[in-house]
Amino acid sequence: MNALEIRGLTKKFGDFVAVDNMNLNVREGEIFGFLGANGAGKSTTINMISSLLRTTKGEIDLLGKNIAKNIKFAKMNIGIVPQDLAIYENMNAYENVSFFAGLYGLRGALLKERTEEALDFVGLGDKQKSFPKNFSGGMKRRLNIACAIAHRPKLIIMDEPTVGIDPQSRNYILQSVKKLNQMGSTIIYTSHYMEEVEEICTRIAIVDHGKIIAEGTKEQLKTIITDTKEIWVGVKAEGELPLDSLKQIQGVTSVRFEEGVIKIHSKTEVNNLNRIIQQLIRDQAEIRSVEEQAPNLETVFLTLTGRNLRD
Amino acid sequence: MKDFLWLVRKTMKNTFGRRNSWLLYIGLPLAGVLLSMLFYSNMSSGSLKIGIVNQDGDQAITQDAIQFVGSLNQVKLTMTDEASLNDEITSGKLDSGIVLPKGFADSIREGKPLPVNIVSVKGAQVTAYVKSLLDNYIGNIASIGLGTKGDTQAFDQVYAAYKQPGFAFESETLKDTSNRKDMTYQSIGFLVSFMMFSAVGLTEIILKEKENRTFLRLLSSPISARAYVLSNVAVSFLVLLFQSFMTLVFMKYVFHIDSGIPFGEMYAVLALFSLAAISLALLIVSLAKNTNAAGALQNLIITPSCLLAGCFFPISIMPDTVKKISNFMPQHWLLDTIDKLQNGTAFGSLGINFFILLAFAAVFALIAIFRFSRNNDVRQFI
Ligand SMILES: Nc1ncnc2c1ncn2[C@@H]1O[C@H](COP(=O)(O)OP(=O)(O)OP(=O)(O)O)[C@@H](O)[C@H]1O
Ligand SMILES: [Mg+2]
Repeated sequence: MNALEIRGLTKKFGDFVAVDNMNLNVREGEIFGFLGANGAGKSTTINMISSLLRTTKGEIDLLGKNIAKNIKFAKMNIGIVPQDLAIYENMNAYENVSFFAGLYGLRGALLKERTEEALDFVGLGDKQKSFPKNFSGGMKRRLNIACAIAHRPKLIIMDEPTVGIDPQSRNYILQSVKKLNQMGSTIIYTSHYMEEVEEICTRIAIVDHGKIIAEGTKEQLKTIITDTKEIWVGVKAEGELPLDSLKQIQGVTSVRFEEGVIKIHSKTEVNNLNRIIQQLIRDQAEIRSVEEQAPNLETVFLTLTGRNLRD
Repeated sequence: MKDFLWLVRKTMKNTFGRRNSWLLYIGLPLAGVLLSMLFYSNMSSGSLKIGIVNQDGDQAITQDAIQFVGSLNQVKLTMTDEASLNDEITSGKLDSGIVLPKGFADSIREGKPLPVNIVSVKGAQVTAYVKSLLDNYIGNIASIGLGTKGDTQAFDQVYAAYKQPGFAFESETLKDTSNRKDMTYQSIGFLVSFMMFSAVGLTEIILKEKENRTFLRLLSSPISARAYVLSNVAVSFLVLLFQSFMTLVFMKYVFHIDSGIPFGEMYAVLALFSLAAISLALLIVSLAKNTNAAGALQNLIITPSCLLAGCFFPISIMPDTVKKISNFMPQHWLLDTIDKLQNGTAFGSLGINFFILLAFAAVFALIAIFRFSRNNDVRQFI
């Protein structure tokens, strides 16, 4: 069964179409990656799934049930980790988790057990009595997650749970996501970090301008762009680099320079490696290495949307 | 229902977990009562300063009437003339003045006493009390005049007998009710403004929850927005009830201010007013985009309206236009209700006042609900 089924979902803010006739299936047991640049419509979609926003058009089914008609069922079975922290600064970690879990009807011994379980799960078991104001950014993020999982939802939606935190906390969170998934939850994961999505997601959808423009496993996505290759030329970064003249070469679609490497996207069918190197030599760049990259998700994203995942 | 209580419990705990809240919600109104006592304590020590304007000369009956007023406890008499009377009253040298008109004594002899004019700034209760005692006194003597039918000798005889000690009035102690009433009025006036500020402070929690996005998390749980707002209203109501209860208890049992109204009636009226205050707070919150805006609106609405409605100064000293404007403020109707109760109107016959207070509550709440329901902007709380 599909954990989530979205058909013809549309959201308009006035004349602006934030989500545009979106169709999407997330299977039970998946970690589903939701990729999109700023303003692509990820949060808007998530807010409609969690019944925070009314849909303009379209339907959403959770575990085979229409959420508009089964709102209580939907809410009981969804846990949302909002993009921005949503915790009480004046309540300690335990009180935060236990208050939100209580909203799902948990009381007494069970509430206590689930609260402690959730806090242990995100590694805050020994910080139950501490207040968020004394937490690091990563700890707050983890508390933000604990608040969403104590009621053991079937579907957990994480909207960029790892922005602005230390690598250690990020690793902890990524491991937790996998563990939650192994324990039976379906997960929708939104991120600006391609490597996170590559690491944990079983399937990925790329969103742009409110539409899903590609969907599949990462292997499938990578095969979409057989018509583009990426050439990396390591150079000694000295003086003016001839980036503009490289762009004139036939077949080249984009050129950028990052950390001593000129990264060139080019059409696969044009054999232009010689011309590129000739041009570089003519411009007196000191070439250190040349390699053709296997296509990666970053490339896929860039070619499909024409935008970088992060600005 | 269980969820509702869960929400109420959390808000109560968060609110009263901080010492500041106690100070704000309970301490301030009590300070207000204390302040009102200080305002009026110089008066409570003593005397009512009455100026007499005697236009009737040395007649015995007139002099006796003056003496009678002077004999009342806590009254200090000053003789003055009509020209300076008004100045002395407005400058505070006198609390009120009595004008005994020319021909006063003769009119009493004839059994048809001329009206005695009593002047004062505030329609203070004490003045009314003095007037009623004086009227009573004059009435008694005038009835001698009526009985003796113009026979001067007979009149003088009866009058002389009437003045004998056994026959005379016992000197009545002026119950200092005006003072108590002023204190009550002022204390309630302060309480009213604190209740309104408290209501906004508590309702503002909704905006705070939007700002720290916990509102979003709340709404993604099975809790409905309506249940959440209702729980907030319930908390405000509980706090305001507690606040007015404490204030009334302190007024009565600690400061010994006798409002002249049964505790239950006073409390019921304040409870009714709480509803109007909370509805207004909801309206303010529904109009504001964030807590800053709500704070600005609160300052713009509550303090001036309290001022105009007479929470800080008695409405009787305000110009007529202000009196008319104050009809549009719920505070006015609360103070009016209390005033009427103090002046002896029965609780049951104040239906119109109660209805108006309820109407304020209903109208504010309806507009607020309308505003809330049209607000579909999630971005506001993401
Ligand atoms: N309430 C609203 N009114 C008008 N426009 C809105 C509203 N909410 C979102 N938008 C617009 O809809 C578009 C999609 O926003 P959304 O927050 O879904 O993007 P996102 O993919 O989550 O981006 P990010 O990666 O920055 O979080 C944006 O252009 C945003 O400005
Ligand atoms: Mg977003």
